[in-house]
Amino acid sequence: MTWLPRALIGPGLWAVGFALVYGLHGLGCALGWSTQEVAGMTLHRLAMVAAWVGTLLACVVVVMWLPGGPDPTRRLPRIGAWIGLGATIFTLLPLLVATSC
Amino acid sequence: MTDTVAAEGVGDATLDIPANPPRRALGLHRELSRVWSNDRGWRGQVTAVNHTTLGLRFMATALVFFAIGGVLAMLIRAQLATRQGAFLDTELYNQIFTMHGSIMMFLFAIPMLEGLGIYLLPKLLGTRDMAFPRLTALGYWCYLFGGLILLAALAAGVAPRDGWFMYTPLSSAEFSPGINADVWLLGVTFVEISALAAAVEITVTILRQRAPGMRLTQMPLFAWYMLGTAAMMLVGFPPLILASVLLEVERAFDWPFFDVARGGDPLLWQHLFWMFGHPEVYIIFLPAAGAISTILPALCRTSILGYGGIVAAILALVFLSFGLWVHHMFAIGIPHLALTFFSAASLAVAVPTAVQVFAWIGTMWKGRPELALPMLYILGFFLTFVMGGLTGVMLAVIPFNWQAHDTAFVTAHLHYVLIGGFVFPMLAAAAWWMPQITGRARIRGLGEVAFWVILIGFHGTFFVMHLTGLLGMPRRIDVYPDNPEWEVLNLTSSVFGFVMAIGLALFALDLVLQATMGQRAGRNPWRAPTLDWAMSLPAPTFNFASLPGPRQVAEAAPDRTALALARGEGLLPGAPRGQRELLVTTAADARPDHVAVLPGNTALPLVLSASIGAFVLLMLAGLYALAPVALVAVAALAWRWHRGLATLAAGGAMVAVAPRLALPVQPGRGRSLTHSGGVALLVADGTLFAALIFGVAFLHVVAPGWPPPPAAAETATGAVLLVALAVGLGVAALAAHVTEARQPAGRSLAGWAVLGLAGNGAALLALALLAGWVMDDPTAHARDALRGVLAGYVGLHALICALMAAFVLDQIRRGEVPTSGAPSGWRLWQDFATATGLVAVAVVLGTAAVA
Repeated sequence: MTWLPRALIGPGLWAVGFALVYGLHGLGCALGWSTQEVAGMTLHRLAMVAAWVGTLLACVVVVMWLPGGPDPTRRLPRIGAWIGLGATIFTLLPLLVATSC
Repeated sequence: MTDTVAAEGVGDATLDIPANPPRRALGLHRELSRVWSNDRGWRGQVTAVNHTTLGLRFMATALVFFAIGGVLAMLIRAQLATRQGAFLDTELYNQIFTMHGSIMMFLFAIPMLEGLGIYLLPKLLGTRDMAFPRLTALGYWCYLFGGLILLAALAAGVAPRDGWFMYTPLSSAEFSPGINADVWLLGVTFVEISALAAAVEITVTILRQRAPGMRLTQMPLFAWYMLGTAAMMLVGFPPLILASVLLEVERAFDWPFFDVARGGDPLLWQHLFWMFGHPEVYIIFLPAAGAISTILPALCRTSILGYGGIVAAILALVFLSFGLWVHHMFAIGIPHLALTFFSAASLAVAVPTAVQVFAWIGTMWKGRPELALPMLYILGFFLTFVMGGLTGVMLAVIPFNWQAHDTAFVTAHLHYVLIGGFVFPMLAAAAWWMPQITGRARIRGLGEVAFWVILIGFHGTFFVMHLTGLLGMPRRIDVYPDNPEWEVLNLTSSVFGFVMAIGLALFALDLVLQATMGQRAGRNPWRAPTLDWAMSLPAPTFNFASLPGPRQVAEAAPDRTALALARGEGLLPGAPRGQRELLVTTAADARPDHVAVLPGNTALPLVLSASIGAFVLLMLAGLYALAPVALVAVAALAWRWHRGLATLAAGGAMVAVAPRLALPVQPGRGRSLTHSGGVALLVADGTLFAALIFGVAFLHVVAPGWPPPPAAAETATGAVLLVALAVGLGVAALAAHVTEARQPAGRSLAGWAVLGLAGNGAALLALALLAGWVMDDPTAHARDALRGVLAGYVGLHALICALMAAFVLDQIRRGEVPTSGAPSGWRLWQDFATATGLVAVAVVLGTAAVA
């Protein structure tokens, strides 16, 4: 795997997760998922939280997989992975608090 | 054989490339000038493809448009200075504020950053030109012609008048009759060709043409910023191009993408527009930040603090800026949860921006700042951009956004961001690089006066505009007879607006005086460490008599490097074969890969852009039946364009680059600049397709007026034709793969090329039958219009691939295939066309099944 894709994988995961959750949000509102209860929460929220958690796990795996170290060639991809993880946590955190539709 | 071994050895060993023996600098200069110079006289004006000429031409043209946009701004301020200004009538006022925004965004800011990148990047990276010189020229002519169409419309009183973001339904045919909106849609799309062209070649130039040894993690920060910008342009512009095409098709042919009554939705326009519009802010900001990161450490006599942190911040900005677009739509009734996603992302993006600002402040702290003119503008940038960033954070908070939405507060915020974040750094950049461009030193005094007048004028204009907005004044109104409380603030803004205009005029005068009357500048007047100063001033058309190698890159001492390179002690000295040659390196670690031969001066880009312009004008005139004739001319010229490439690629000899290092002119499969450019272009094309699929999903899920009535395309005949379409594209893809794999075999490939041609032809036939016999009237409902667009997209790509297969067939006939990159190019595009075709078929079948 070349260097540039490794540097992009973290933020790329955020982009995929963000788009997936936003897409599920629109789809769930249109299909009435917010009125269906599953495991103590609405099907809508469950689907979005599942996508969020899946993205978070993927980000964690990438953070652990990429080597660190003082060499910028190794360090930058890892920083990119942290960016992806941090952005995924922060931008989708409202899933836990706001009403869905 | 020895040469080959030497070339391969470079990939394995550390990059210790021996120096060429010194030669007479003047002789080298003359040899290179004969090959690289523009044609003489008027012909040189239309045939130039050199990056120095075109970069300067881009920037000079952008400055002219900036002046025109500025005059329009003054007209707006004159109108708003009093409550019932009679200076402009409403119609003209609408045209003027729309043109002011459109000119500043599309005809000033973006072309200016393109011009800066095109001019500087080869010099900073240690190469002789951009990757695709003819594309540079094509981009310039498209920009110029598109801009002239918009200006001509303004002069004729038929300029766009619906705001620079052209919201539907205001811009739809019903509420905006006439050609005003068409001028924007077609003219701006024409100009955007130049943006995509620049994005492709900037990406390829940075990734493939850095001096040997200049690893990605060591390249100048300006190149990192431009790489981020180019990537954002490749992904950011296609949604706007798609939106413009859809709206133009709706206006011209009544296909209802945005018409609620027939299954469309105006919000689709807003989504597509802001998917471009918000990243656009960062597209504009990043190159400016790149200029700051280049200038600031040199003026502080130190190195940049936190290089890695800044690169990471660029990475974060490039991605996060695509997650903000809905914050422009907070007031349209989107559910709270979706709002909070975009609010959080809007807050998060402040973090990488702040990382950069702190890195710059830290750089100043550890160095010894010199208060030269560029530094004054950088300080002006800090003051202004930070204030604009803070009001941006305020607007990211949803309740505040609802209060300030569509008021003058937003106008003030965006001017703080755009003028603070782009114009001030560009003024710093102009002051910094003028000696490089003109070879002359600045005349002290006038520039400093201009700075203070601009700074005072700017803040006097826009700071009070925040208050006007908080008092409730909406944007885009021409009179406010019932609101006397806004008058003093508006008058203040108007007075200071003229002060700012005077300051900018003084700045322009300073530039002219420097270019015409300044004393000769020394070789590196700022004592900068970058390669752009390692050449004679003003820069020669070829930049470097010999190209910098790992030693020169590591030294970062332009004064010493300049002499060595001028004497031919670098790589690939002179132009002994009478061709425009440069080194191509590997993407990440910049190891020498091959020597590329670039095309010379030609009027082909001008003629091609004129043909595209003819298409635009025929569409504007409503002569839709004639417009395809212009496209035939475009296709014929594109054929000729690629014939030129095939001629350049012929040969395949090894070229001596340095002692014991020879490189091939003919690269291996998938390693040519053209291949890299094709990949970059397909990223943009794929984004456009993804935006189209988003449009299909959005209308299906969100728009009122769904589900539509059952469609005929769901019949068995339709399904059979869709299968035929998929099979045709699949066969063509197989043929393309075989042709590429067996390329060295030459003539025996004709059968496969014919098969590829036939496969694409069958796909086109299937589409034609679908359109003629099966598909419903696309004006009936948005579902049918979307299917029509999907069919058009797939058909256009099948047609392009058919032409590529025919081109390969022609090359086989000429015996050029063994050394040509054409089969690889065809395979790349055919894979893309087949993949998107299959997705389109799946989408049509899937949505039909759901309905």
